[in-house]
Amino acid sequence: MLRPLERFGGLVLAGIEWVGGLTGLALRLLRVGFKRPIGIDDIAAQMVQQGVRSLPISTFLSLFIGMILAWQFGWALRDFGATMALGYASSLALVRELVPTLIAITVGAKMAAGMAAELGSMKVTEQIDAVAALGADPIKKLVWPRVVGAAASQPLLVVWGNIIAVFGGMMIAEWVYGVPAGYFYQTYIDELVPMDYVSSLVKALIFGVLVGLIGCFQGFSTKFGTEAVGIATTETVVATSICIIIADFYLTMVFF
Amino acid sequence: MEHDAQPPRQDRTEVGTPVPADDLAPARPRTPIIAFVDVSKSFGDNTIYAGMNLEVHPGETLTIIGGSGLGKSVCLKMLIGLLPVDSGRITVLGTDIGTADDEVLREVRRRVAYVFQGGALFDSMTVLENIGYGLREHTKMGDEEIRARAKACLEMVGLEEKDLDTMPASLSGGMRKRVALARSIAPQPEVILYDEPTTGLDPRNITRIGDMIKKLQRELQVTSVVVTHDMPTARKVSDRIAMLYRHRFPFVGTVQEMWQSEDPAVRDFIHGTLRRPPAAHGSHAKEHHGP
Ligand SMILES: Nc1ncnc2c1ncn2[C@@H]1O[C@H](COP(=O)(O)OP(=O)(O)OP(=O)(O)O)[C@@H](O)[C@H]1O
Ligand SMILES: [Mg+2]
Repeated sequence: MLRPLERFGGLVLAGIEWVGGLTGLALRLLRVGFKRPIGIDDIAAQMVQQGVRSLPISTFLSLFIGMILAWQFGWALRDFGATMALGYASSLALVRELVPTLIAITVGAKMAAGMAAELGSMKVTEQIDAVAALGADPIKKLVWPRVVGAAASQPLLVVWGNIIAVFGGMMIAEWVYGVPAGYFYQTYIDELVPMDYVSSLVKALIFGVLVGLIGCFQGFSTKFGTEAVGIATTETVVATSICIIIADFYLTMVFF
Repeated sequence: MEHDAQPPRQDRTEVGTPVPADDLAPARPRTPIIAFVDVSKSFGDNTIYAGMNLEVHPGETLTIIGGSGLGKSVCLKMLIGLLPVDSGRITVLGTDIGTADDEVLREVRRRVAYVFQGGALFDSMTVLENIGYGLREHTKMGDEEIRARAKACLEMVGLEEKDLDTMPASLSGGMRKRVALARSIAPQPEVILYDEPTTGLDPRNITRIGDMIKKLQRELQVTSVVVTHDMPTARKVSDRIAMLYRHRFPFVGTVQEMWQSEDPAVRDFIHGTLRRPPAAHGSHAKEHHGP
């Protein structure tokens, strides 16, 4: 009788502990991160590693989201003979929701898993301790560049993704529904107000911070052994996706 | 301890490593440079230390011996604040490690180097970057200077300049160990903690590392704590030996004292580890340790 309840309770407690740990890391990061030196080199290296290397997948993903969404909305609009409104219909969902969230969940989870694996193996081979033993701060040296790198990469990828997604929509509009691509573009942009761009980028920024924090936290809290690195990495993908969806819900609430 | 060699002082001040007054006058009554007072530490049910006391004097080399898994590495990690103690106090260079804030701890770690048992080299960096890490962190040395220092340190541990630009992954285990040693000595610390510095090395390099520890002590008055299972090295470098047994150091004394000890635990350790009594302190030739 008690068993499932106990397990559920344990799960909730573990969840609370995890969030507590993540918050603790965020607070420590706030304390040490902005101190000089800022560590531009390390941040730039992280942006290349996380951001630039994620460009192909972001491009691919955004192109297809743009096409799929236009296709689906077109289908619905055709029933009303309103395919010309395709641009108006697609833009909000893409810019405010689909592009930032899907990029965060795929590319972001990939980044976080990469960080967890890298820092996790550093943890089990005592390299994180070695950073501390050499008198440096592991939070500043390892977490800070990764979190800033992710926080900067996500909005940049989303800007790029938004451009590509319009392009995908234009192709479907023109070829499938006979809506001129130029008209689709015009109506698409017409529908958007500055707040929509802000919302898209703020979401991406916050998702980026979450990605960096979760990836680093998972890496730093890796237990002993190489097996632990695998576990930490897998958990990271799940944790990142869940946190992004929850954050997305709250951000959507705030922005609407 | 010999004090005939003139220590290269300028070199030290250059990297911002002031020598504490105690170190300059080892003849004075010495206050310990490191002190464990009534330290207890457990991991869950696994008690590692209970009421442990240990002192290390300035300029001496203290060797810690004891069975595998008893907590020798834990001792060194507590010493530089990588692991917190459950109760008790650890003072290092006059600083209470338990209450030190980040800045103070950073300063202690600049002056106290730790050679990790597994090396803990940074995989993503070259040997040069590894050795230069502490220098970049604590000094304003330029690339050329760092390279020169790294080269000098590599030579001390028997590696060559050409190894500077390789990645740690492509080095052998023994070479990695020696790069780790070089990384720790590069910032010219006042205290060096060696966690099994000779494990996995060939006899020539074991001798070389032993000589290096002695040389650092003689020329720079470095205080060393050496964890080792390698009795010839222990006998060669140690001023005193501390034996870890049942969560404490029941025996701390010179090699000779250890040998003459009537303590059953000490006798047990000696006979489990050594085949014959040591020759006079310092002459270690042709001795070998047990199976
Ligand atoms: N971070 C940690 N968390 C939990 N237990 C630990 C931790 N570090 C060490 N231990 C435990 O403490 C004990 C002592 O470990 P330690 O590494 O200090 O042994 P050791 O004396 O250095 O052994 P060896 O000679 O094999 O290196 C072991 O039982 C180990 O499992
Ligand atoms: Mg050990």
